[in-house]
Amino acid sequence: MKLLKTLFCTSLLILITTSANAEIKVSGFGSIVAGKTLGTVDDPLNPGQKRDEILTADFYDVGQYTNDITFNAESIFALQAVMDLSTNFKVTAQLVAKGVDNFQPEFDWYYLTYQATENLTLMAGRRNIPMYYFSEFSEVGYAYPWMRPPSNLYWWQVTQFNGVHAMYNFDLGDYSNTLTFFYGNEYSDDNVEMLYYNKLYGGSAREVNEYWTDITGVNWNISGDNFDVRFVYFQNDRDRETVQADGSIDPFTPDSITFMGVGGSVDIESFTVLFDLNFVEYDDALGTEFPTYLVSVVYNLDQYQPYFSYSKADHKRSKVPTEDLEEHYIMSTGLRYNFLPNASLKFQYDHFVDQGDKATGWAYHGDSDTITVGVDFVF
Amino acid sequence: MLNRFKKVKWLAVLSFSVGSLLTMNQAIADVAIVVHPSNTSDFNKSTIKKLFLGKSKSFSNGRVALLLSSSATAAATKEFNKKVIGKSNSQVNAYWSKMIFTGKGTPPQQLPSPAEIVSAISVNPDAIGYMDTSAVTSAVKVVATF
Repeated sequence: MKLLKTLFCTSLLILITTSANAEIKVSGFGSIVAGKTLGTVDDPLNPGQKRDEILTADFYDVGQYTNDITFNAESIFALQAVMDLSTNFKVTAQLVAKGVDNFQPEFDWYYLTYQATENLTLMAGRRNIPMYYFSEFSEVGYAYPWMRPPSNLYWWQVTQFNGVHAMYNFDLGDYSNTLTFFYGNEYSDDNVEMLYYNKLYGGSAREVNEYWTDITGVNWNISGDNFDVRFVYFQNDRDRETVQADGSIDPFTPDSITFMGVGGSVDIESFTVLFDLNFVEYDDALGTEFPTYLVSVVYNLDQYQPYFSYSKADHKRSKVPTEDLEEHYIMSTGLRYNFLPNASLKFQYDHFVDQGDKATGWAYHGDSDTITVGVDFVF
Repeated sequence: MLNRFKKVKWLAVLSFSVGSLLTMNQAIADVAIVVHPSNTSDFNKSTIKKLFLGKSKSFSNGRVALLLSSSATAAATKEFNKKVIGKSNSQVNAYWSKMIFTGKGTPPQQLPSPAEIVSAISVNPDAIGYMDTSAVTSAVKVVATF
């Protein structure tokens, strides 16, 4: 990563100073968000003990709110550079700095785009996995009304991958369509979220490596005058190395994940309805399933956009039917105020209810009420 | 007596301001879609909307369109977004932030004044822009008015 960073900065400098053949466009986005939870709960994993309510706002990086006000859980700054190498070729890089990483910048996106024909675009490199409807731009706070896409759905330990995409645009009657096929791999060494779970349940692993390979799937996006809907299907193989302090690796049986869903937005008069329905399945011995959904309504009142959202996640087992596993919902209400053409101020209140089974440790989140205030901007 | 005078004066100021607001509203009421005089492609609200959202890239004549927009704060932009795109400025900006940072589209190029849009279109057969109808000159062709 360091090498990549140095390489990129050097090439960026060369491009800026010489800019002989290439045109470079720099843009960016960011969010400055502060928040806190409001009360305390009985620690679900340590019965009898009280602890601060915790809201995990960013699972991948484990960005959390407790009773102490923090700016670090969700604040982010990203610079994007697009270099046109020719009329058909360009390179895009996004340097992202997050509060959860003490604002250490990292190249989260780094890919090549080739415009093969007017309607066929090929991309190769590092991008977000197009899982949920909001996954690819989940960090661009300015692009959606809420403070964040509901974190109890956007909870995966892997969100990015190295791979290839083929995007094909076509019209079907009055509707614009985009079909995207993608393939790639992600070797997430020292995965932050998985190590967090290990510690949460009393483990002392040195690191957890999570491997998602042969990520193969398709997105079908269809949009009309007042709607935009996207279908997703992908599957991948999954393996994990939990490395203990003495270097030994816990046994893990690899399995495959199938991810399906439909999500989008519909405009009805001054209202926008946003939704996302998803179903994730493992081919493991338990028949693990995660049905999740999100429904949100936004009222577009010029500069003001009050909104409400409800997101629900469940965990089931089809081969060993078990009722009491992980289950939770978040009810959120908030206001987005577009005070500048390129910046918005948001207030959000989240009510998280953990419906998981306490006895078996599945209610590990605990209930929480959280207030966040933030400014999202683009430039 | 003095009080009464003040009241009348205040009312006069108020009616004058309301009057000017109304005239202003009328002045920005219509937005013209303009292209190079040689562009004979078909245009309607749907084709213009698709072009300006990046959902289609070329005119019916097969040429790739160069999109030009007025500044984000221009009255014409607000009118165009409301009447043609069917969304508020901030909704359109949010849409483009999604497209830019996922590498799926490039927003129209912003030019600071209608005069600059006119001069850019007059020398580029593939350019399309919008402006207040009052800013249109004979150097460009109006293909639709909203």
